[in-house]
Amino acid sequence: MGDALADAHPHLIEVSEVKLAYLARRVLFLLVVIWVASTITFFIPRISPKNPIRERFAELARTGGFSPQDMEKIVAAYNAKFGLDKPVVQQYFDYMGGILRGDLGVSLNKFPKTVWELIMEALPWTIVLIVTTTILSFIIGNIVGAVSAWPKSPSWVRTLSIPFILLQGVHPYLLGLLMIFFIAFRLKLLPLSGAYSVGIQPELSLSFLLDAARHQILPALSLILASVGGWALAMRGMGVTIQGEDYVNFAEHKGLKQNTIFSSYYVRNALLPQVTGLALAFGSIITAGVLVETLYGLPGLGSVLSAAINSNDFMVIYGIVLFIVVGVAVMMLVVDLVYPLLDPRIRYETK
Amino acid sequence: MKQTKITRRQLLRLSALAGTGAVIAACGAPAATPAPAATEAPAAATEAPAATEAPAAATEAPAATEAPAATAEPTAVSAGGPVADVPRNRTLITMNGVDAVNVTNPWTAGYSHQQGNAMVNEPLFYYAIFGDKEYPWLAESGEYNKDFTELTIKLRKEAAWSDGTPFTAKDVLFTFNGQMTNEKLNYHTEFKDFVKEAKSTDDYTVVVTFSQPAPRFKFEVLSQKYDTGIPMVPEHVLSKQADVNAFQGGIDFPHTGPYTIVNWNVQQKIMDLREDWWAVKAGIAPMPDAKRVVFRANPNVEATAQNVVNNEVDMTLDLRNDAIKSVLAQNPKITTHSGDKPPHGYLDWWPNSLWVNHEIEPFKDVKVRQAISMSINRDQLDEIVYEGAQIATTVPFPLYPGLKAFVESPPVKALEEKYQPRKFDLDGAGALMTEAGFAKNADGLWEKDGKTVPCTINGFESIHSDIVPILVEQLKQAGFDAAVNFGPDAFQNMADGKPGLYMFGHGASLKDPYATFFLFTKKPIGGGAGANNFSRYNNPEFDKIVEQMGPLPADDPKFQELAVQAMEWYWKDVIDIPVIQWLHRIPYNQTYWTNYPTEANPALGFNGAQWHTTAPMVITNLKAVS
Amino acid sequence: MSATITSPAAGAPAVPAPFQQPPRRVLVARYLRRNKSLGVGIAIVIFLTLFTIIGSVTIDTAKKAYPLAVKTKQPPSAQFPLGTDWYGRDLLAAMVRGLWQTAVIGFLAGAAATALGVVLGFISAYYGGAVDKTITGICQVLQPIPPFLIQVIIAGSIDKRSVTIYTMALIVFLLSWMGPTLVIRAQVLSMKERMFVNVAKLSGMTNLEIIFKELLPNLLPFIAASFVSAVFGAIFASFGLSVLGLGPMREPLIGNIIYYSLQQSAFFNGWWWWPLWPMLTLILIFSALTLINIGMDEIANPRVRRTE
Repeated sequence: MGDALADAHPHLIEVSEVKLAYLARRVLFLLVVIWVASTITFFIPRISPKNPIRERFAELARTGGFSPQDMEKIVAAYNAKFGLDKPVVQQYFDYMGGILRGDLGVSLNKFPKTVWELIMEALPWTIVLIVTTTILSFIIGNIVGAVSAWPKSPSWVRTLSIPFILLQGVHPYLLGLLMIFFIAFRLKLLPLSGAYSVGIQPELSLSFLLDAARHQILPALSLILASVGGWALAMRGMGVTIQGEDYVNFAEHKGLKQNTIFSSYYVRNALLPQVTGLALAFGSIITAGVLVETLYGLPGLGSVLSAAINSNDFMVIYGIVLFIVVGVAVMMLVVDLVYPLLDPRIRYETK
Repeated sequence: MKQTKITRRQLLRLSALAGTGAVIAACGAPAATPAPAATEAPAAATEAPAATEAPAAATEAPAATEAPAATAEPTAVSAGGPVADVPRNRTLITMNGVDAVNVTNPWTAGYSHQQGNAMVNEPLFYYAIFGDKEYPWLAESGEYNKDFTELTIKLRKEAAWSDGTPFTAKDVLFTFNGQMTNEKLNYHTEFKDFVKEAKSTDDYTVVVTFSQPAPRFKFEVLSQKYDTGIPMVPEHVLSKQADVNAFQGGIDFPHTGPYTIVNWNVQQKIMDLREDWWAVKAGIAPMPDAKRVVFRANPNVEATAQNVVNNEVDMTLDLRNDAIKSVLAQNPKITTHSGDKPPHGYLDWWPNSLWVNHEIEPFKDVKVRQAISMSINRDQLDEIVYEGAQIATTVPFPLYPGLKAFVESPPVKALEEKYQPRKFDLDGAGALMTEAGFAKNADGLWEKDGKTVPCTINGFESIHSDIVPILVEQLKQAGFDAAVNFGPDAFQNMADGKPGLYMFGHGASLKDPYATFFLFTKKPIGGGAGANNFSRYNNPEFDKIVEQMGPLPADDPKFQELAVQAMEWYWKDVIDIPVIQWLHRIPYNQTYWTNYPTEANPALGFNGAQWHTTAPMVITNLKAVS
Repeated sequence: MSATITSPAAGAPAVPAPFQQPPRRVLVARYLRRNKSLGVGIAIVIFLTLFTIIGSVTIDTAKKAYPLAVKTKQPPSAQFPLGTDWYGRDLLAAMVRGLWQTAVIGFLAGAAATALGVVLGFISAYYGGAVDKTITGICQVLQPIPPFLIQVIIAGSIDKRSVTIYTMALIVFLLSWMGPTLVIRAQVLSMKERMFVNVAKLSGMTNLEIIFKELLPNLLPFIAASFVSAVFGAIFASFGLSVLGLGPMREPLIGNIIYYSLQQSAFFNGWWWWPLWPMLTLILIFSALTLINIGMDEIANPRVRRTE
């Protein structure tokens, strides 16, 4: 073992040298993605004639709670304060400068809250939901896909993937709605909405964590059910392809146990390409999560984002979209970098 | 080849380990973050009665706002430490949303009184609409001189801030002077227009001198009722702030109200009773039964209604007609302002009209406005939206006692007979449109010079999604090119006066019609509609009438006479198109609490909305069932 | 099963010209029987299409699909087979019209995205070099940006009065052409190197001829598969936008019907039929497209067939 490691050493160094150039390229790519994303998100909300500061006061006025004789004056005062009276191009450079310093600015609608504060308030809930669901659906999906493609599986096992594959197309929001109606509303098995029960206080206790977990079941389930099928389908496809490979035939002829072939040759080789999909899956689950969070009234990034869109609080919109895009892009980078280490068939090349 | 394989395996194993670690970390971190233990723990502010004495904690709060974004403080996630247990039957839970965490300073742009801050910050006076009664609060009295040019306010000597500092004339003057000089505050113009000077003669007496007679100033500005009126702010804290509009306040912000916020995050805001509340000592309030008040996030109506049926919640935001009926049917312990009789609620002060911009074609023409009004079938609205309750209206004020008397007075009745503002008459509307030069096109829509009448209704989804689609359909059937816009630009369109109809309330008169008529005299500022006068109605004669009403008290016969004249202009010129009165259908769950203000039991005469500034006057008077 | 005699695999040896193929539809039907996912998927789509066509012909959807047309809040009955909603829409008429509008959005956005993808994919693969680098670069940069977020922002920012089903289609299309572009590019690249293209080149065919006569026919399964995914994506995205209240508000788009039913707490008030039909229909649409997609995959990647 030790020997082998020592032998392997020079090779590793070689890999890491190539890696450096590759890494530089990937990081550059990441920066371009972030720049493009922030530029797109910067300019789109500006086509709207709506002023987020006025929306803030409109909200108060709507409920009758605001009797400024001249709201316009107040709006103008805040416009000046936030630099919204400057030319858009200058605002763009100011904003980009801010991003470089890690400053996402203040919420225009919830001033004096900063965008970071809003993100941090919501982030824990989103992370819990997204990380759990992505990982669970990855695991379940791959198991289902693998057993259903394995020719030695009993036939009922092989049909297991069908319902998941069908559900994969169904929008998680719809699944969420169905579950709210049947499970929460009719059967009253699980809570309808919210992050934890009314009257319970957030604290680091088992009872609180259990209660919060109970509230996450339905939202998580709607995301998981909608994404398991995708993994299963891909895994099944991959498995089928591998069945024809020479090394599997060879192993069979060598007389290896079926189980060994299944786990060592089959699942492992089929699983590797799946890992690359993980980063993009995060992206799509986060997106679906925006809707699901809104549906279940969870205080995550999705709820903050849809509230921000409603008030055209573009600083918050920028902040959250950027945050998500950077998250996905970084995930892609990590997968990209780790993947060749997992799969010896792939090598870094500087073309 | 062999070697690489081994390294690869190791890598695989390593990364598997790392991955698991990351998952655990990721799961662990968020679980910990919302928990108060992980955040700053101001041990001081937790135990309600004792800790409120700690002034040190109070002055440390400002940091949060100035902090550069990247170092967003943990306070943002959740403010406050662990809280003691309070039994359910001493806890009042209401579901109407949670506002921006940590913002308790009334002078912050992000401040709202609607989600619990009214329980903390108090005014000089309260006004109870159903009792038509003023309750001097931090003020002991407020007396005008004869010609309404001077107001003498005497303060209560018992009143004190939660940090022990006495509440004095210094605070009142600071509040008033702030409104006069800081144009980012929402009563700045009222103060600027009316107040010449405010000064104190001793620690407990403030004299306000007006630049013109201001008989309504005490009521409109200094008294809290519904969503209006100003709360007092602590001079000893705010005077030290560089930017009072950017200072959030935090949960340690000194306050005079009965409750102290002990825990606050995006899901809920928990407030505990201050047993040393000054008003109890002063003998003007009972010791409240509710030891704790919780304001919960309000995710959707479905969940809210279900929660109140399940007794998890005691009060909610107002519900739609069908929802409140389902709620009452499912839980006999729940009641409403009008009991189990329709309309299952009370009239709010916010009658809604369809407004149009009088300055643009084709709405310039009064005939078009009249035709639109005539195309609205108000009986059908009552029938479909309110199941027969008489909610559709023809006047722009809420029908509270004073205003009801005005609307039902013989001269106004005669005007009503003359102008028939409720008339639904498609033929009549057609005739008016033809007179205005319109003809029906191939799609059956009124058209002139190739242009249809732009009748997109700008409204607000959360409150208008029942009525607006119905109105759109009625207008379509009458040949108007109607559509729905619940987009976030709706308010902007109203303010800018874009073509279209705007569904919006007035938020003005409560006792006499002056405030609403005054609204119609306001002029646009810099292109934007000033304070809800979306019509941009411009009629010097009307303005003159209202101007004459201003200095007169409502019981002056001259005032009544002028009001009738103004009313005639309202109907004759179709200043706006009145549609409905606004209802508050709030479920009151009596499983744990009684003595909600209702028609049968008016209590102090306040309305039951826990999002209004008068919430503490309702909540502190609730009685625990056991 | 008598058809087996003429099955192409067992068909006459080597002499293709005189070989009499059974009518195309027989072949198609036979294929669909073998490729069950595709068969079931297409059957559902045909059913839904018939539903809207027959519905549009027999019901006055221009009136009954909109508010105040019929008595409100009626459960399903002989008179109103699917019931009516709070606003007085006949839900049958609303479903007919809404399904049609949803399909229009899906097809327009899907077709536009596929068409652009095919063109860009071809250009990219065929000309290579800087052109290829630019196009793939743009696709790769845009890929990690979750399109729905951008769509929501666009839909939330534009003037609500201009939101129609066509603007919806446009919004969805704007960020959905990258997938088809990359797929088609990859296929063209692999085919470019294959024998038949070289043969065609040697025989003096022009680039355009090669594209239209040789490449395009072979790409059809992939284009079709891209199209189905693009339609799916478009319906998926437009549903997401309309349940957030960002769609054309007056139209009975399927997502809008659900949106309005939630606005009026249909579950809580016991009007179960109101959200039920649109939910079922959407599940049918999504499942059908998934099935077709799987079936298409089978045509495009024959190795997958072995699982059956």
